[in-house]
Amino acid sequence: MNLVWIVFGAALAVAVPAIATAWAQSRIGSAIAASMAEKPELSTTAILMIAIPETMVILGFVVALVILLRAGGPG
Amino acid sequence: MAKIRVMGPRDRLPEVLDVIQDAGVLHLAAPAADSAVTSVVPADRENRERRNIRRLLDDVEWDLGHLGPGPGGHAVVPETAAAEPVEWARTAARLRRRLERMDAQLAHLDEERSLILKYRSFFDAFRSLLEAEPRWPHTTAYHVLLRSGDQDALPRLRQALGHVLDGAFEMYDRPLESGETAVLVIVPADHAANLERLFAESRVEEIPVPAAYGGGTLANAIPEMLARLKLIPRERDALGREREGLARAHRAELERARAWLNDRRAHLDALALSGVTSHAFVIEGWLPADGRAAFEKRIHTACGREVVVSEESREEWTSEDAPVVLSNPRLFRPFEAVLRLMPLPKYGTLDPTPFVAVFFPAFFGLMVGDVGYGLILGLLALLVRTRTRPGTLLRSVAEIAGACALFAVIAGVLFGELFGDLGSRWLGLKPVLFRREEAILPFLILAISLGAVHILLGLILGVVSSRAHPRQALGRGLSAAMLIGVIVALLAVLEVLPRGLLTPTVIGLLVAFPLLILAEGITAPIELLSALGNILSYARVMALGVASVMLAVVANQMVGAMGSVAVGVTFALLFHLVNFAIALFSPTIHALRLHYVEFFGKFYSAGGVRYAPFGRWVAGAGRRAA
Repeated sequence: MNLVWIVFGAALAVAVPAIATAWAQSRIGSAIAASMAEKPELSTTAILMIAIPETMVILGFVVALVILLRAGGPG
Repeated sequence: MAKIRVMGPRDRLPEVLDVIQDAGVLHLAAPAADSAVTSVVPADRENRERRNIRRLLDDVEWDLGHLGPGPGGHAVVPETAAAEPVEWARTAARLRRRLERMDAQLAHLDEERSLILKYRSFFDAFRSLLEAEPRWPHTTAYHVLLRSGDQDALPRLRQALGHVLDGAFEMYDRPLESGETAVLVIVPADHAANLERLFAESRVEEIPVPAAYGGGTLANAIPEMLARLKLIPRERDALGREREGLARAHRAELERARAWLNDRRAHLDALALSGVTSHAFVIEGWLPADGRAAFEKRIHTACGREVVVSEESREEWTSEDAPVVLSNPRLFRPFEAVLRLMPLPKYGTLDPTPFVAVFFPAFFGLMVGDVGYGLILGLLALLVRTRTRPGTLLRSVAEIAGACALFAVIAGVLFGELFGDLGSRWLGLKPVLFRREEAILPFLILAISLGAVHILLGLILGVVSSRAHPRQALGRGLSAAMLIGVIVALLAVLEVLPRGLLTPTVIGLLVAFPLLILAEGITAPIELLSALGNILSYARVMALGVASVMLAVVANQMVGAMGSVAVGVTFALLFHLVNFAIALFSPTIHALRLHYVEFFGKFYSAGGVRYAPFGRWVAGAGRRAA
């Protein structure tokens, strides 16, 4: 396959989840900041809630790696 | 934990409570409902005392808070021999009134100072005009400040003035250092009312000359204001000295009062948790099983054999009632702070602190993986440790950071990294395992393998913690076995393991599948899949690790890329600093998440009640266990 498309696919695999994660974190961040103002004991929940959507981009990163590796890229 | 019952003659209840409070090990619980034993109903006198204590404590805490920090920080307050609540109440109330007056004086001085500064900047801007103000016949001058950031305010004001006053005005404006704009408007005296109405409607901030400085014109008032400005710091200092004097005179007494009042309040609370019959009292509570003999000895020594201490058998109480205290070896104890962010585990379930103590720094180390960053973090941890008191959260954080730093250095040696590739370029540092920036796939395999180990460990701990519920334990055991089966099958497909293993493993999985549904219900396959997803989630260790080393390498490349070496080195240092800051924050959050979500989700049962023994109060630590 054309190298450009492979690289584009890998970039897309990271970029789309990254945008989704950013959007999710912005919503969660504002909600949790408001909650913590009233209940500071929610700090643990805040950490978890902020970190949970990042799984998407991590998995996207792994998929991108798999795409690049199959095309003979890094590793 | 051991559940203890203390019994004795009813009239000796207050004395026995005092001894128990001194011992500081018994977590009190209300006696079980029994027809013969009733709760102590507080008398009117005790209710009144409780109200007085609450009011007095409020005054004392307020006074101590407003006297500023003491010389020794949170020193242990010596116990009082004799209580003088009436005298304390008088002192605290008098002191509070005095401190409130001083606070009001300070606030007034600050307000006055900022007002004078505002006038001074205004006067400086229009000095020549304002000095001529007394000589203007039949005119009134208005001083206005326009806030910074509103570019259109000035033209709008000029337009509005033109409209209202029909051109009969003079307006001058000067930008001030604060970003505000000073505006001087001079209008004929008979137009003044129109202008004042305009200011009020458009909410323009006008600053009239205060009567306190002679009134009249600003030029007349300014010399008085400037003289006053010189006096304000002296008055502030005098108030500060007075506060210090009050602190010297009363702090020790107030701290003693606070300790006594807190103790007395706890005593009254304990009284309400005691049970009585017509002739006897019963106190029930929990203490660590190994402290039982010492507690009994203490009670007998102080109260004699008339007071009986007995232990309830294990059959008489349930795990849900027992309080929880985490007890770990010294090496693991700082990591209890990680668990403090979560609800406590239930009594009788597993305390995961030792596992956190191993895996948390290991994951952190793999993500940071740099000798240089590790050493800097180690130094910072050492610095914080030397400046904090034992038992505080900050001390625990410093010790956790120390362990993380050690693992970061070890990982740095394994990956051959010292400030990125600087170690290999300058010192010829060779990796023991592999270079993270080159060997991404091996690093990914390492991260996911660690994840598999961590999740399997979680499932095994789940089996152990649910041993009292065989069906649940069987389900978790089957999940663990099937997870191993899926991993073996995948490795066999990829020919990492012999391909011959594939068929027996798949058969095993097919046999285990219905058993898993029988044991855990229809949601079991979903949980198994989520466990596989959890393992993949450990890829973040690799992702953050690679990002960290790449940023460090980019930082090093800046030295040669900026033309000037000095500029390059500055940028490289700044970039390393940013990378180090990220390396402190991001790996911590992700290592925490891997524990809270992926690992604890497999076995952790939250919902324990914290062990809070009835003891003497100590400053900075709440209640003290002896």
